[in-house]
Amino acid sequence: MTQTTNSGEISRIWNWRITLASAILLILVALAAVSFGPIHISFLEIIKTLCGFNHSASPQDRTVILQLRLPRVILGALVGAALATSGAVYQTVFHNPLADPYLLGAASGAGLGATIALTSTHHNLTALLPLCAFLGGVMAVLTSFFISGKFFAEPNTLLLSGIAVGSFATAIQTYLQQRHSDALRPVYSWILGDLTSASWSVVAWSSIYIAIALVILFSISKQLDGLMLSDEEAFSLGINPQRLRITAVCAATLATATAVSASGLIGFVGIVVPHLVRGVTRRVTNRSLLSIALIGAAFLVLADLGARTLLSPAELPIGVITAFVGAPFFLFVLRNRRKVDFS
Amino acid sequence: MMTSGFISISDASVRLGGREVLTDLNVQIPHGQWTCLVGPNGAGKTTLLKALLGVRPYAGSINDRGQEVFGNQNRNVAFVPQSPDIPQGMSVAEYVMLGRSKKDGWGKESSRSRTLIREILEQTSLYGMHNSYVTQLSGGEMQRALIARALAQEPELILLDEPTSALDLHHQISVLNNIELLKARGVTIISTMHDITLAAMYAQNIVVMQAGSILLSGSSDFVIHSPELRAAFDNRIDVFTLDSGRPVVIATKDGTNS
Amino acid sequence: MSLTRSSLSAIRGKAVVVAVAIATISLAMQAAPVEAATAPSRIISLSPSATEILFGIGAGKQVIAVDDNSDFPTNAPHSKLSSFTPNVEAIAALHPDLVILQSTATKASAVQAGLKKLKIAVYLETTPNTLDQAYSEFTDLGALTGHVSRAKVQIAVMKSKISSIIARAKKLTGVSIYHELDNTLYSATSSTFIGSVYKSFGVTNIADAAATADSGGYPQLTSEYVVSANPTVIFLDDGAYGESPTTVAARAGWSGLSAVTQKHIVVIPLDIADRWGPRLVDLYTFIANSLTTVASK
Repeated sequence: MTQTTNSGEISRIWNWRITLASAILLILVALAAVSFGPIHISFLEIIKTLCGFNHSASPQDRTVILQLRLPRVILGALVGAALATSGAVYQTVFHNPLADPYLLGAASGAGLGATIALTSTHHNLTALLPLCAFLGGVMAVLTSFFISGKFFAEPNTLLLSGIAVGSFATAIQTYLQQRHSDALRPVYSWILGDLTSASWSVVAWSSIYIAIALVILFSISKQLDGLMLSDEEAFSLGINPQRLRITAVCAATLATATAVSASGLIGFVGIVVPHLVRGVTRRVTNRSLLSIALIGAAFLVLADLGARTLLSPAELPIGVITAFVGAPFFLFVLRNRRKVDFS
Repeated sequence: MMTSGFISISDASVRLGGREVLTDLNVQIPHGQWTCLVGPNGAGKTTLLKALLGVRPYAGSINDRGQEVFGNQNRNVAFVPQSPDIPQGMSVAEYVMLGRSKKDGWGKESSRSRTLIREILEQTSLYGMHNSYVTQLSGGEMQRALIARALAQEPELILLDEPTSALDLHHQISVLNNIELLKARGVTIISTMHDITLAAMYAQNIVVMQAGSILLSGSSDFVIHSPELRAAFDNRIDVFTLDSGRPVVIATKDGTNS
Repeated sequence: MSLTRSSLSAIRGKAVVVAVAIATISLAMQAAPVEAATAPSRIISLSPSATEILFGIGAGKQVIAVDDNSDFPTNAPHSKLSSFTPNVEAIAALHPDLVILQSTATKASAVQAGLKKLKIAVYLETTPNTLDQAYSEFTDLGALTGHVSRAKVQIAVMKSKISSIIARAKKLTGVSIYHELDNTLYSATSSTFIGSVYKSFGVTNIADAAATADSGGYPQLTSEYVVSANPTVIFLDDGAYGESPTTVAARAGWSGLSAVTQKHIVVIPLDIADRWGPRLVDLYTFIANSLTTVASK
């Protein structure tokens, strides 16, 4: 899609207008998500309530908008942004277009942490479920680093360690679940992932960690392009590839672990959204990270809207929606690439 | 514009994986000229190249304009690997544009850069496919893309690892000509080459390596006709001089002196 | 007026009667919850057992909606609300004043929190493991809906019926049972509700030997163990999944079990198997009958 302008230049590789369009899309989607639900509230009332005019809507409607729907939409946006950005970063670092945010055992570790919290006899631990999931995810990734030995920042070794750690954590988790069958339903429903437990307090702590992680990733996003080349080439272009990889993986893990502890395991977002953005813009530069975050946010908010309303009054697990919506979209984008990119 | 000075290598040794791969190297590589590293496989040519880049730790000294090169990113050095990591989904234009990150900074695309990229793409006959994906390029086209990216960097030093190995004859010459143009701008060129005839054609200096040591270094003419060159290849080469005075080096089947 | 001895004692007698009457009435009024005057009239039940209990204690008219699994009584106001995956907004859209929610529902605590924000009262129903725990739900719901005495009566009736069922069946000795949840041999120990029912009949539950394998009371047994334990009676709770005496007899290595040869395999009817409402009596009756036919052979 690069054409030349009249003055004989190659056209820009990345355009800030794309990011602006993504932001606008997110705002529209978020507005739609707050507007729809089993309780019918008129659009006008919603706008008024959001802008702070408290008189027109009934107290119940106001509570529904401000205490139920709004935190859920915001959490959905945060988690979607976190997962999509992490996925994109992992795909770059590991040179693997199929990488997802759960690659280094973060998912299995968080699942194990959640299972320990839910099956523990100390009921205080149950209230700390998000913290346990978070710690589980982070420790799994750290373990992957450690067992890679001195090759700890080499992409391929790290990948294999992640698989080993993930399998181990899953095995322990399965064992614990077998021994505590009463925790089966809560653990399973947590694994499926959903945003039902969204409240302003959850939004508060998760937004801090996700914001920190995303800011770090956005600030190194341009240099991440160097990781797509070999280490020598990257060095010649002024990058420290080892340090950059570690920073990127750590920040992405922080984002992923926070997302998982707030909303369980939501799949597909981390793989599909980066490819969606790259397919539509026909660019793989990591300058797209901000757009990827915004589109990831919009994607998940939309999926959550579907989870809440499609089979109303039952709630669909959000992982089902992300797969149903994500897969066809993905295929559509793949087929429309000018030429199939196999190498 | 002639650059003076040398890259000084004194008593430099490099260990890789517990083994000493380069032993006590001593040579001066002049700035602004083209120096070729030749020798059989395993001689350590690529390792020396990477050491000159600054990504291999070494004992001893490799000094460029008063600074040790290890970990030194103050210089504008372009590195053209033999088999590069080919990024997926990236267009040729995007790939070549990466070369500007040293000059412009990462993520910036000045108008001048974009004009320069276009010129370079035309120079390397890649302009027609600048929208194609890098993964769709043939071996030769990929090589030219690498050169294009290195040119985009406007470097002071360019290190090339077997820059012509995947090219057909026609493109070998055109790529090497493009590189030679850099010399006019005072760029120092160091390359490894299998084809010693081409090396002699373009490089002013040749360094002969074998088993991690330097057997001989000096001007091309001097080195081409030297016994050390033959020794490096176990005397399995023949050197002929054409009527025009150009040397031609070819391999022979058995190790007899000619 | 002169107070004769007899008139004094008559007055004393009447005073005592009046005092006792006042005491009784005030006691009765204290026992009656304050909510009696403001009992909820828009109840949503998201638990099949709670639905049965509500209608059993006379609160049926106060119920506006029950979940999609509540099929008894048949005249309960059915809705599409889900008992397993409740949706806060869908529930709130019906403007209830009391919601009965199973603690085993998906994200039950989050749903409860959401309803609380909307100022809707929630009763979180926990699964009982003993008969007394089941009765306490009757009491709770009676208090919440203003049918305390009705609930008490229900409990008393059930208690007496169940004790007489158990007493009549007390001739069992040396009987062991195996209660099957599915064909991968998940069973229930005596710490579960159904286990406590068997326990009250004095039979041995072969799953108790594996009690440490699962803290929830549902261990998975092995074929070998079941065969070696050779239970007298096999109760199938997986009739809905296609298990029957024929399929059990066809299992490898099971043909020699005494329960198979003597045809002591019983399928528990679906709708009394995992509810703990007024029809608990039917469950006890069914199990008692199954066990006595065994003992009589």
